[in-house]
Amino acid sequence: MTNNKSDIIIAIFLLCFSGVMINDASNIRDLGFEGMKADAWPRVVLWLLVVMSSVMLGKSYLKFKTVSDEDNENFSINLAKFKNALICFGMFMLFLSTLDYLGMLIGGILFVFGLLTLLGGFSHKLIVKHLLVSVLSIGFMWMVFTFGLRVILPEGEILRVW
Amino acid sequence: MFDVILQAGASVLLDPVTLGLMGIGTLAGLLAGAIPGFTIAMGVILTLPFTFGMSPIQGLATMMGVFVGGFSGGLMSCMLTGIPGTPSSVATTFDGFPMVRSGKPGLALGLGLWSSFFGGMISAVILVALAPQLAFLGLEFGPWDYFSLIVFALTITVSLSGDNMIKGLIAGLLGLFAACVGEDEINGVARFAFGSDHIRQGFAFLPVLIGLFAFSQLLSDVEDSAKAKAPLMKNSAEAIRVEHRKAIATVLMNWINLIRSSFIGIFTGILPAAGGSISNILAYDQAKKASNNRNEFGKGAVNGIIAPEAANNATAGGALIMMMALGIPGDIVTAIMIGALMIHNIIPGPSFIQDEPLLAYGVFIAFFAAHFFMVGLQAFALRLFLLVTRIPMYILASVILAYCAIGVFALHNITFDIWVMFGFGVIGYFMRKLGFPLAPMILGVVLGKLAELNIARAIGISDDYSLFVTRPWSLFFLIMAIVSVLFPFYQNAKKDTLFTKMYVPISMILLALPLFLMGSPVRMVVGGILLSAGCYFIYKRSSILKTI
Repeated sequence: MTNNKSDIIIAIFLLCFSGVMINDASNIRDLGFEGMKADAWPRVVLWLLVVMSSVMLGKSYLKFKTVSDEDNENFSINLAKFKNALICFGMFMLFLSTLDYLGMLIGGILFVFGLLTLLGGFSHKLIVKHLLVSVLSIGFMWMVFTFGLRVILPEGEILRVW
Repeated sequence: MFDVILQAGASVLLDPVTLGLMGIGTLAGLLAGAIPGFTIAMGVILTLPFTFGMSPIQGLATMMGVFVGGFSGGLMSCMLTGIPGTPSSVATTFDGFPMVRSGKPGLALGLGLWSSFFGGMISAVILVALAPQLAFLGLEFGPWDYFSLIVFALTITVSLSGDNMIKGLIAGLLGLFAACVGEDEINGVARFAFGSDHIRQGFAFLPVLIGLFAFSQLLSDVEDSAKAKAPLMKNSAEAIRVEHRKAIATVLMNWINLIRSSFIGIFTGILPAAGGSISNILAYDQAKKASNNRNEFGKGAVNGIIAPEAANNATAGGALIMMMALGIPGDIVTAIMIGALMIHNIIPGPSFIQDEPLLAYGVFIAFFAAHFFMVGLQAFALRLFLLVTRIPMYILASVILAYCAIGVFALHNITFDIWVMFGFGVIGYFMRKLGFPLAPMILGVVLGKLAELNIARAIGISDDYSLFVTRPWSLFFLIMAIVSVLFPFYQNAKKDTLFTKMYVPISMILLALPLFLMGSPVRMVVGGILLSAGCYFIYKRSSILKTI
């Protein structure tokens, strides 16, 4: 996925990120004590990040200029290649957003079932298989953590009402 | 001292629960190491949530089992199918797979197994002997020295982590920055919280680590739909009877290779972030160079199996030496172990062995014992491995993603930790895709707070910044940091340049200087040896200087 164009974009993003954070560092309170201030170390780290990002930008730009136009044109973001990763991101976000309502047990089963089905396929046989895997795996883990390790996992509104 | 070792031994070896947990850990490690796409670090991360409710010694013994088992697990898949289970068993494939194909699978597996065992035992002896001495040395360190040590740990991680050094440095700095978020350790002032109470508490170390490493790895594993739906291994493999006696005799007959490879493994393990993935190839290369039958290598040579397997298990001992003695992780796995210790309110450092002798010696004994479990459980693990490899990756990844969420929640019982894991998982995934190495970032996260704390202490004690270069240990680590930064240039430079000829001797001479400043007779002798050797090399290569 990497080439000089992507490195230039990343370097610019990192410079912007460092700029925002350096700006926010000025909001860190100074308690007036002797010794190192609370904003000193993050500032050092962020300025080093600015230097390194600038070096990366400069290097990538020089390479971009020297290699052939054809090589530079070859860079494209192929979203289809990241389809499965994007599905995982989406499902995980959904799982986390609904965790307070569904709880870890129901939410977990739905997350695993949904993810398995989206990644693995939709045939009848597969759906039954995915349902079994999700119920058994999450049910087992939920029991181990709840009863074995005494961890109080999020119950969720639905189970609480029940 | 002896009674402490006895007590620690009893707490590990006479407690059936601890032994049972260590056995389960070793089995889990053997499987995690064997499954391609999984790594030892992943195995340790997945075991971690179960250890929260255990006593520190039980938790560490379990993880020690995973650690040791993981290094040996890789040999099963690489020998039976030709696919290395972990990066630390890549070199084992070169001769292990051909030996299996030539009709000696039992001997090949036996050689790998017993080389791992003996390599691990040698490193365990060195661990017990060296870690307390190194910790004793660490007690001499002031905050200046500790800060410089952390700088060295980060620079060497960057220099060893890949081709693109700038990206490595950026990754390390991002890790240091992530450790800055939240209340600072010295004044308790909120930083970069953007009004969020959760962020004000800072990012917990383990969700960041699990996100960066495990979450992003799982996403990469399911990226290719066709591969994700296929069983983990297409090549069929069968359970094999290991030829133990013949293998032991063969390994012991090649004792020089065994010892050399073990020491390569220990030394590589001691270097921060240089793990088994480097040591196994280094040891293989050295074994090949030292052999009289170089042509045999690649065709099923006995020494081609002994060298990488002895080295990768010995690396575990080396990494533990740094963790136990100085609190600096030797690799990603020991970084996770430091996190696990912190959960039990134990901070590893130079005083760790003195303050917590029962726990420290318990870890040493668990490391020894795990090797016996590894040998005993290999046959059973082999059968389990053959079963697991029939499962497609998308099923494993989906279940493990949910498991990561449950495990991370169990850490502090707050949902925000799962969001942190998710956020860093996304960052880790894109960093992988964009060619940023993750090891420097992980080390930055682990060492960030420690670096800030020590520089603040140093400035608090004295505003004389020259102490960073006038204190011998600090100077020693800073020189090491410069040497490690220049190392990739040395590796990539042409052979006959002035720089490549002078890099090693000048590094030796420079490192001799702080050793002389330390004043102790032994260190002065070591300094003298370094200085003499450096001058000798310069004299020898002076002909090159003349030509230039």
